[in-house]
Amino acid sequence: MGSISEFFQHFLNGLTLGGIYALIALGYTMVYGILKFINFAHGEILMIGAYSGLFLFDYFRGDLPYGPLLMIVFFVAMLISMVISAVLGMSIEKIAYKPLRKATRLAPLLSAIGVSFILSNLAAFFWGTKSRKFDYPFDNTAYKIGDVAITPHQILILVVSFLMMVALKLYIDRTRMGKAMRATSLDQDVAALMGINVNQVISLTFAIGSALAATAGILIALDFKVYPTMGAMAGLKAFVAAVVGGIGNITGAMIGGILLGLLETFGVAVLGIPQGLKDTIAFGVLILILLVKPEGLLGKAEREKV
Amino acid sequence: MKRRFALLLILVVAAGLLFVGCQKEDAAETAEKAASIKIGFIGPMTGDYANYGTLMSQAVRLAVDERNAAGGVKGINVEVVVEDSEGTVEKGQAAIEKLASVDKVTGMVGAVFSGVSIAIAPRAQAEQIVMISPSSTHADLPGIGSYIFRTVPSDALQAKVAGAYFAEELGIKRLAVLYVKNDYSQGLYEEVSKSFTAHGGEIVAVETALQGDKDFRTQLTTIKGENPEAIYIPNYVAEMAQILGQAASLDMDVQFLSADGFSNPEIFDLAEDDTNGVIYTGPVDVDVTPGSAGFVADYAAKWGVEPDSFSKNSYDGANIIMDAIEKTYSGTGAIDRAAVRDAVAATENYAGVSGDVSFASNGDLIAVQGIFQVVDQKPVQIGVYTVDGEDLVKLK
Amino acid sequence: MLSFLLLILIYTGLYAILALGQNIITGVTGMLSLCQAGFFAIGAYVTAILTVSYGVSFWLTIPLAGLFAAAAGALVGLPTLRLKGDYLAIATLGFGEIIRNVILNWDSLTRGPMGINGIPMPTIFGMTINPYKKWGFLLLVWVFVTIFYLLLKRLTRSRMGRALEAIKEDEIAAYAMGINTTRYKVWAFMVGAFVAGCAGSLQAAFTLSVTPNTYTFMVSVMVLCMVVLGGMGNHIAVIFGALIIQLAAEFPRLLGISSTVPPQFKQIVFGLILVLMMIYRPQGILGRKRVNYDQLTGTLEQESLLLRVRRIIRIGVKR
Repeated sequence: MGSISEFFQHFLNGLTLGGIYALIALGYTMVYGILKFINFAHGEILMIGAYSGLFLFDYFRGDLPYGPLLMIVFFVAMLISMVISAVLGMSIEKIAYKPLRKATRLAPLLSAIGVSFILSNLAAFFWGTKSRKFDYPFDNTAYKIGDVAITPHQILILVVSFLMMVALKLYIDRTRMGKAMRATSLDQDVAALMGINVNQVISLTFAIGSALAATAGILIALDFKVYPTMGAMAGLKAFVAAVVGGIGNITGAMIGGILLGLLETFGVAVLGIPQGLKDTIAFGVLILILLVKPEGLLGKAEREKV
Repeated sequence: MKRRFALLLILVVAAGLLFVGCQKEDAAETAEKAASIKIGFIGPMTGDYANYGTLMSQAVRLAVDERNAAGGVKGINVEVVVEDSEGTVEKGQAAIEKLASVDKVTGMVGAVFSGVSIAIAPRAQAEQIVMISPSSTHADLPGIGSYIFRTVPSDALQAKVAGAYFAEELGIKRLAVLYVKNDYSQGLYEEVSKSFTAHGGEIVAVETALQGDKDFRTQLTTIKGENPEAIYIPNYVAEMAQILGQAASLDMDVQFLSADGFSNPEIFDLAEDDTNGVIYTGPVDVDVTPGSAGFVADYAAKWGVEPDSFSKNSYDGANIIMDAIEKTYSGTGAIDRAAVRDAVAATENYAGVSGDVSFASNGDLIAVQGIFQVVDQKPVQIGVYTVDGEDLVKLK
Repeated sequence: MLSFLLLILIYTGLYAILALGQNIITGVTGMLSLCQAGFFAIGAYVTAILTVSYGVSFWLTIPLAGLFAAAAGALVGLPTLRLKGDYLAIATLGFGEIIRNVILNWDSLTRGPMGINGIPMPTIFGMTINPYKKWGFLLLVWVFVTIFYLLLKRLTRSRMGRALEAIKEDEIAAYAMGINTTRYKVWAFMVGAFVAGCAGSLQAAFTLSVTPNTYTFMVSVMVLCMVVLGGMGNHIAVIFGALIIQLAAEFPRLLGISSTVPPQFKQIVFGLILVLMMIYRPQGILGRKRVNYDQLTGTLEQESLLLRVRRIIRIGVKR
């Protein structure tokens, strides 16, 4: 590694890659926190969200030039696809996961894998297998600070994931519904006994998680394009981030994501690990964290029940 | 309950197998009569690599549809059987087995990835199925058997031209490489680095990525630090679009060089202005070969997307097989597979949409390489080259 | 057609061996592992490298492949022992990806993405078992299925098998009864990995070439599905599971509609099968319905209801 500006460039790259992981991890951690199961279909909901965002944006924007109006169109398209994804997420929960709530751990896991198969192949069937470009709603020319370059898109990713984290945290900590969510996550049976509508809470969790996925999908698609399998590996890495940060912990997902992005970048750039092995870095970190602190960096240790 | 269920299951499975067994008799009969002529296609139709297989299979379907519209082969309709390999050896084997023993195809186009092609080629050889791969560039493939051909130049040839051209014609001394860990990209990287250094150049940085990666900023930043004169990116479109876009966002102003993967017009949709200036090796310009402009238009009209260069190779492969059948089939009786193979092997200066196709004695494509540069999001052919030993020979 | 059926049966056999191994880890011991593809890959590459580069006899490489995979199994098992359920699934999935990642990048040994070609055909008593002729190989694979079936069946009825099952039912109680849970869990991983490694060895000899993208995470998922759809813990059932999944994966080709229906069709059907099976028959086709002791005794007895209520109430108090 050479100059100081190269170092800062790597740092920025890692930070924004981490922002992307964090963006997806927030939705993951939300659902896992309440239901305690890996929603393998989360990545596919993200993909559907990105597709609907793309279609809506292309439909509405006409030939608007860059400017506030185009940004409004973009956010409207994003809002609608958040709603679409929320409905989709809730329906999936009703059909494929709800009947399995009392089953073994394995059942919802395999059911989720089944759902992700169905969704990604339906997308490939209806929308084709090619990658589609999601045009930036703003001029994405990089800003330069000395030799270090950063694009508005990278800044947007970091800002949105931070805002999302804060909003989620406030919602869960400060509202009645958030309280009900925490109660449900702790103990479904007793929460129900105490008058919490567990079904409603779980539905809402899925709705929020899926809406977050749509946001993440659209923001990622601006750089990474839209294609039917876009959710697969992104979902896996984001899950790693969520576990590293402490699954179910909103701040943890953010920190885990950023940490993972930085580690992958610096592991390659500083330690000279071949880039081909960067998945090894991610999963190596995961296993290490699970060994040293199984509850994740910010997770609370759960007492083993006897 | 459990036992009954198990019994039921066994019955169902047995019935299924029987049903399938009966079908086999039918299939055998039709093949005898040669009421229809079948050619196959094997490629990834689902999964992460589905787009490559889809594009190429559409070219084969187009070739067959056109042939049938023109009266078929000796008046017999040609049927195309597309089988999904999912990009894996296992499914590829199932696919060739089905093409060989159920459909009894005479020839096939595929497979797409070298790994799959190498695994299924011995099977095609044993069943006397002419196999023409449109995209497997691995050096070992043609040597597997006399029925194995390809309409894509081997890594070795494309890379020799590329390495020599970069060093001698472009005068590049310091080259960086960013390639994806798949057989296509790594094969090109390995061969290009050999020929480039043999012609006096120096590889100053080698960075890799994984198939499916979307973020290449780390590698590009590292490469930027080495300050190379050019960066060679012999990858598929999805990765190259990302690399070009992110290089621009990192404010890198450096010459990009690429290979035939770049000849997929999708790159211009995905990377737009970032493609300008890129120099790449590829099959000789479509507009230079007669009759090929029509192919691109027909393909786009039928499928709504433009074909890549591998699709052109597929289209030529399908037509070469059908021509060979046309030449050798008597009109009655069974198809003489050995004769079809010989007719394919004898292909010389076939004016295809991918350029002039001739096969070497081992079934490899005797190819010349076009060199292209992108100007205003349009590829412009700036030369046609081949190699004599290690020396670059300019043809045009 | 026949030779296509034979191919399916050969792959069913290979997968059945993988599933038998997975069954020891997941079905018998109750550990949710997604690493079988990694052990499979190690076995295949051990055979490929030893036969091609060192001229070792194929037959000798089978146990070696198993041993290498078992060593990897111990490596996976030891650090992940403290993990349970989904965490274990993700960690083992990570290990599987790491194995593939290393194979993909260790070019000097594995040729990376180029794969290793030209694996010699196995010979026995001077006869070559030609994979393209199928019959010999079919016999070979199913002989191994039978051997592993018998061995593993014996194993589950042994002292070790009972210990493993005790761990599945209640790890803490098993520990309290004096079962060395750590040792047995690692053993389970090693046995499962050994079996998968042997399957990999056979697969390499069958395809005569190996490439890293054969051994993706999807293989692990498929194998897990075989165990679950067949019936966890039941050795015959998981072999059945392997057959069912193979038929489900190949049904468009078997029915001759693979070229006429959209290619995504079979994947969608497969996804539907998974979802519907989990909803309507989660214990698998041949599995027996497990008594859920938690439900029987009532989970509320596990700790005092009061304690649990208090924990919930605390949410309302703390900020």
